[in-house]
Amino acid sequence: MKIRLLVYFFRQAIQSLVRNGMVHAVGLGTMVVSLLIFGSFLLLFVNLSDWVEGWGENLTMSVYLEDGLDEKMKQAIMRHIQGLEGASVKEYISKERALEHLRAALGERSDLLESLSRNPLPASIEVIIRRHNPRRTDPAAIVKGIAALPGVSDVQYSEEWVNRFRNILEVVRLTGFIIGGLLGAGVIFIVTNTIKLGLYARQDEIEILKLVGATDWFVKIPFLMEGILQGLLSGFLANAILFVGYLILAARKTFFLGVAPIHFTFIPFDYALVILAVSAILGLIGSFIALGRFFNL
Amino acid sequence: MIQLFHVYKSFDANVALKDVNLKVREGEFVFVTGPSGAGKTTLLRLIFGAEKPTSGYILISGINLNRIRRLQLDLLRRKVGFVFQDFKLLPSKTVFENVALALEVSGHKPSFVRKKTRQALKAVGLAGKEEVYPLQLSGGEQQRVAIARAVVKDPILLLADEPTGNLDPELTQEIMVLFRSIHLSGTTVVVATHARELLEDTAQRTIFLEKGQVVGEK
Repeated sequence: MKIRLLVYFFRQAIQSLVRNGMVHAVGLGTMVVSLLIFGSFLLLFVNLSDWVEGWGENLTMSVYLEDGLDEKMKQAIMRHIQGLEGASVKEYISKERALEHLRAALGERSDLLESLSRNPLPASIEVIIRRHNPRRTDPAAIVKGIAALPGVSDVQYSEEWVNRFRNILEVVRLTGFIIGGLLGAGVIFIVTNTIKLGLYARQDEIEILKLVGATDWFVKIPFLMEGILQGLLSGFLANAILFVGYLILAARKTFFLGVAPIHFTFIPFDYALVILAVSAILGLIGSFIALGRFFNL
Repeated sequence: MIQLFHVYKSFDANVALKDVNLKVREGEFVFVTGPSGAGKTTLLRLIFGAEKPTSGYILISGINLNRIRRLQLDLLRRKVGFVFQDFKLLPSKTVFENVALALEVSGHKPSFVRKKTRQALKAVGLAGKEEVYPLQLSGGEQQRVAIARAVVKDPILLLADEPTGNLDPELTQEIMVLFRSIHLSGTTVVVATHARELLEDTAQRTIFLEKGQVVGEK
C-alpha cells in the first residue's frame, strides 16, 4: 500500500477520534477499566507466583522431638540431618524456648498459659534444606527418613504449604483467564458500538465517498485504524495506571497470610506488551464487526 | 457509451421504469425530461450503478452493469461524474476538500490533487473560495462546487439529476453554460430535468419519459 494512502487513512482515523471525542472518551474509559481489571489479575498472579516459588526454593522443616529425649539421641538426630544433602540445622528450640515464643506470640493474652500444669510444647529442630535443583530433591522421602528416626515425634515441612499455594495459584490463573475472556468480549462490544456511532455520524460522508468511486477498503481502513488506535490507547493507559498502582503497592511492606513478605514486582515487559497487543487486536475485531454490520452500501 | 435494453425497474409493487431502450453515443449531450415521477432519477441511478434493473441490460462503455463486481463499479464511478439536485456536499469540509475528495479516493499524489482541484474550481468560477464551507455559499455556488467535484476527475460521462432544480433562472443559465463547456471538452453529458425552459431554446437531443416509459424523442 502506498505510504501517502496510509498517511491519509491515519489522518482520517485521528480526525474521527477527535470529532467523536466524547463517544471515544466514554468507550476508552470503559476499555481502560476492563483492561485494568485483567492487568490487576495478571499483576496479582505474577507476584503470588514469584512469592510461592521463592518460598519453595528453600525447604524449611520443623522436626519435633519426643519429650524426655537425652542429649545423645538429640545429637544423633542432628548428625543425621546434617548428613543430608544441602541440609543445615538452623536452630534447636527447646521446650522452654517454644513456650517463650508462644507467650510472646500471645502477647497480652499470655496469661492463658499460667493455667497450664506442664509445658505441652515439644522441643524441635528447625532445618533448612537448600535445593540447588528442586526437581531432584524429594521432600517427602527426606521427611519420611527423618520421621523414622527414634526420638522424632513429627516432621512438618514448608513444601506442603507451597503445594497448597500452587493449587490456589492455578485457581487464580483459571479465574484470570475466564475474567480476561469475558472482559475481552466486553471490550469488543464497546469498540463495536463506538465505531458504529462513528459510522452513523459519518454516514453522509461514506455515501459520498462511495459515489465518487471509493473502494470499500478505502472507506473501511480508517475505521479499522480507529479501532486499533482506541485499543492501543486504552492498553497504554491501562499499563500506565497499573504501573502507578504497582509503585504504590511496592512502597509498602506487604505480608500475605502473615507468613512471608511479598516483594512486589511489576508484570514483565513482554506481558505489558501482550496487554497492548491484545487491546489493539480487540479494537481491530470490534471495528471489523461494526463495519461488517454497517457495510452494505 | 450508454446502452439500455428492455430495462424494467420496480420498487415492490411500484413500476418505475418499463421496457426502456436507449442509446447514447460518446460525446453526446442528452436531456432526459418528463413530469415528476416519470422515472428520470431512477434512470440516472441505473446508469450510475446505484440501482440494479429488475430485468433488462445496461452497458456503460461496454461494461455490463448487471454482472459488474463491486470493485469494478467503484473503478467505473471514478470515470463517471454525478451531479445531484441536493448537491450532496459535506458541510464539515471546505469547498477545496469537497472537490479534492473525488481525486483522493483514487490515490493520486497530493500535488496532483491540489493542482486539479484548483483548476476545476477556477473552471466553475469559484477560484478564491477554496477555504469556504459549503453552507457559507449560495445555492448556485454550492451546485458549482458539486459540478467541480464531478468534473475534477475528467469523467468520460457526466450525469446530472435536476441540477438546476433549486436555482433561479439566472443561475440556471450559468449552470447550463458550464455543462455545455464540459461537453465541448469531450465529455458525454446526460441531464435529467423537468424544467421546460431549459429545453425550449436547445437543439440538443431530448428524451421524453412518462410513467416510466420513453414516450418520445426530439
